[in-house]
Amino acid sequence: MSDPAATDIHGLIEQLGSGDAGRRAEAAEQLCRAGSAAHEASVPLVVACGDGDDRVREWAVAALEELGPPPGGSNSTLADLAASSHPLVAYWAITLLGRSGQDAAVAAPVLATCLEAADLSVAQRAAWALGKLGPAAAVARDALTKAATSADPRLARLAEQALDSAGA
Amino acid sequence: MVRALLAACVALWCAPAALLAQQPAAGPAAKPWDALLIASFNIQVFGESKMSKQHVVEVLTRVVRKFDVVAIQEVRAKSDEIIPSFVRAVNADGSRYHYVIGPREGRTVSKEQYAFIYDTNRVEVDASSLGVVPNPQDKLHRPPMHVRFRTRVTPADQAFTFWLVDIHTDPDEVPQELEALTGVFQSMQALRPDEDDVILLGDLNAGPPEFSSFKRIPGIGWAVSGTTTNTRRSKTYDNLVFAQPATAEYLGKWGVLDLQSTFGIPLDTALEVSDHNPVWAAFYPAETRSSAAVNMAGQPPVVR
Repeated sequence: MSDPAATDIHGLIEQLGSGDAGRRAEAAEQLCRAGSAAHEASVPLVVACGDGDDRVREWAVAALEELGPPPGGSNSTLADLAASSHPLVAYWAITLLGRSGQDAAVAAPVLATCLEAADLSVAQRAAWALGKLGPAAAVARDALTKAATSADPRLARLAEQALDSAGA
Repeated sequence: MVRALLAACVALWCAPAALLAQQPAAGPAAKPWDALLIASFNIQVFGESKMSKQHVVEVLTRVVRKFDVVAIQEVRAKSDEIIPSFVRAVNADGSRYHYVIGPREGRTVSKEQYAFIYDTNRVEVDASSLGVVPNPQDKLHRPPMHVRFRTRVTPADQAFTFWLVDIHTDPDEVPQELEALTGVFQSMQALRPDEDDVILLGDLNAGPPEFSSFKRIPGIGWAVSGTTTNTRRSKTYDNLVFAQPATAEYLGKWGVLDLQSTFGIPLDTALEVSDHNPVWAAFYPAETRSSAAVNMAGQPPVVR
């Protein structure tokens, strides 16, 4: 592989589903090295955050950190993943929804439920993402108002900001 | 007098670019007495996978040996052996580097550690100074690790002492974190009356056009400007930030160690090493004010 941009992204996405943890880790690492060329692997990488193998998770997270907004049309899938019981999957699905901004309006109701997630990082990220949705976050007004009274300073702060952003 | 000496040394000092282009000889390379090279390097996902690749470790060790102190970001491993085994690899040529490492940080189960690797022939750590910046309002995803160093290449009563504050910002909350770091910098400046040198360094996920909040700090400046710092040569993410006139020891020399051109490796190999290039700046190793003589008594490291 001399040119990372020429990486076979579809092949690596398929490899992420391998039964062999080593091959999955190799795929996640190569997708990470592919940079923005791995854009279309955004959703599979979010799923990979729930992998049982540490190496797969760490490379998937590293790849997602650099990928920017997800491909158009993936927000419904990401909204489903935001409700995952695996905190790291939910966290990264929510992060990509937040990066989509107002294009992720469809996810506002699920993000509202995520505000009450048992995992604080998920709840905080949901408040952050709702703050990126603009007026569409108004449907989450009640949940945001409650979150704004949280004892956790970050959750309360982000919820306040989301309420301001939504004009709610 | 110190300033005159400083000016003379700047004029005579060999260019860092030439220095950095040197390949390591059979033993540790000689370093100039009149310049301390401080670097920052985000070694993306520095863990077992990277350490298992000999060609990657080889490049990483050669990077570290070029500098006196390297602030590292993104140590990501369950094992506590990554940095110790890496430092052993660095020292395989007879070098005498040591390290300090911080706690695992991050809001999710995916954690990172900061580390400093330093040449014990050139600098020493104030063992009582290790810590993590308090983050009670949770404004920073990975609160910076701070350590105070002192040079060993000049007499103790003249040695340059300085805080290094290692940071890796959250790419999704850069403006908010840079705002918080502005406060961190000012807090570090005020932390000890006998220390005025604060160097904030790391992966800021931002370049100088986004440093507006830093400009509230009197005399603030940064080393890296007008160039890229990532391996793909497309973004400016990494920097060293410090204030003048406090850090008058800055020699005005800085650089980005381009992994591809420095080591003659293709982009895909460079990306195996990291998606960031190291950045560095040079400092005169003696204090520019006489009040800098301080107690560096060794005490057990404590990370808050």
